[in-house]
Amino acid sequence: MHRAAHTALCDWPQFVKPAMIRQSLRCTGSLQTSSRAYSVIPPPRDREEEEMMHRMLRVDHAGEYGANRIYAGQMAVLGRSRTGPLIQQMWDQEKKHLAKFNEILAENRVRPTALLPLWNLAGFALGASTALLGKEGAMACTVAVEESISEHYNSQIRALMESDPERYTELLQMIKEFRDDEMDHHDTGLEHDAESVSVFLIFALDDRLLNKNISKGSVVLNN
Amino acid sequence: MAALLRGLRAGRLLRGLPSVVAAPASTNQQCSSLRRSFHCAALRLQDESKSDKSSASSSSSSSSSTTHHEHYQAHSSHQDTEAASQQDPDPNSSDREQDEEYETEEQLQAQILAAALEFVPLYGWSMEAIAAGAESLGLSSASTGMFPNGSGDLVLHFISQCNSKLTEILAEQHNQVQLGQAERKKTADFLRDAVETRLRMYIPYIETWPQAMSILLLPHNIPDSLKHLSTMVDDIWYYAGDRSTDMNWYTKRAVLTGLYNTTELVMLQDSSPDFKDTWAFLDNRIQDVVNMATTAKQMQSTGEAVAQGLMGAAVTLKNLTGLNQKR
Repeated sequence: MHRAAHTALCDWPQFVKPAMIRQSLRCTGSLQTSSRAYSVIPPPRDREEEEMMHRMLRVDHAGEYGANRIYAGQMAVLGRSRTGPLIQQMWDQEKKHLAKFNEILAENRVRPTALLPLWNLAGFALGASTALLGKEGAMACTVAVEESISEHYNSQIRALMESDPERYTELLQMIKEFRDDEMDHHDTGLEHDAESVSVFLIFALDDRLLNKNISKGSVVLNN
Repeated sequence: MAALLRGLRAGRLLRGLPSVVAAPASTNQQCSSLRRSFHCAALRLQDESKSDKSSASSSSSSSSSTTHHEHYQAHSSHQDTEAASQQDPDPNSSDREQDEEYETEEQLQAQILAAALEFVPLYGWSMEAIAAGAESLGLSSASTGMFPNGSGDLVLHFISQCNSKLTEILAEQHNQVQLGQAERKKTADFLRDAVETRLRMYIPYIETWPQAMSILLLPHNIPDSLKHLSTMVDDIWYYAGDRSTDMNWYTKRAVLTGLYNTTELVMLQDSSPDFKDTWAFLDNRIQDVVNMATTAKQMQSTGEAVAQGLMGAAVTLKNLTGLNQKR
């Protein structure tokens, strides 16, 4: 009882601060861009949660953007081969993910990462260079990338579940859906001859190292 | 500083205890009514500032709590029972007290700074203005001790106040557009109006504004002033309808920051009536930006067309030389 009154009393002055005025006014802005009456992200309780949310969304957005560019690179090389349609299909799903994150970033006034041009170039280069090694190379790259993305999403899901699963229900649902899509891509890559041993081993190791560093680096730098 | 606050609050308490002051020395009958009126007063005190009750029980604030005790004891002989009942050890009290003081202190600081703004034309952005502001509120001029970064605090407070006002105005305009009561402005016009509105807030302090700007450039004030600037620019773009999530986010804000800063500098040296020249300068700069954006777009589409032409030529060549056949 005391604690409830205490938190109510202490949270109330926060609403008077200009930052909170801005945030409450933010809701009127979002009505313009989205016809939904709710948002996937719950309105933040305080500055700390807002920072944490924004960081998470920024990294996810950067990840999807990078994945998009990787597939674009692969398509540029293998677009007219037999694996073209397969890669195109996976690319389309990634485009949907990116669109969703763009929407969320715009609604919640999240700053996009300043490293986007870097991910643009690096992603395209990675996709194109692995595709130059043929279908196996492209699939091995896909497997490695999707694996690290899934791991990243899984750790986010864990973090959100640990902190407050009820509060973040919609966000959790969305991330789980995306994670399942990425796992599908990973399995598709495995199905389509990514396992020719030498290529796969060399590739997956290098790619995984590269991708882990990219994702860790992006988490650090994008903050 | 904390003792000062408690002294201030004690003054307010005295004003808020008319029923207790009015009660004479007690008889049994008057004791109960006294106790009841004291309970009412205590509840009112609770609403005003919970920490006072808990400060009586916390040992860390012994000096001021004895002050409170003296005040209470001066008015009622049944003070002791009341005080004893108030001394319930409350595990949350020290936390609550600290949080309450923090909030009240911030509000108090905000009030003093707001009062000090009136004296800025006279004393400049300085400690004297803050001291004069404190005195105008009936506080001692020694409360400038609350502001170790005095003039910086004053300028930053003023700037954040201006930003809040701007955000309110922009939100109001946005609502009007949503309700269909107003037309949606074009981006260039919107930016011009927003920057003009914001800069007009400086007009009452324009004489001393160079001093304020130099204060903002001091190393320890730079992070805060940059934060205020960036939130203001972000707000203006948001209400202008920008929802970009790529590098445009950065370029747009950089452009507006440059626009705002240069116009501010021009305003400092402008002596035309109602700063006509400044607004004309702003118009021209916005026009430049619009032209640049249009040119950039044209260049991009030209470049794309050229690239397509080259690809077409390459494919034609490949067809002619037979390299394009599937083997």
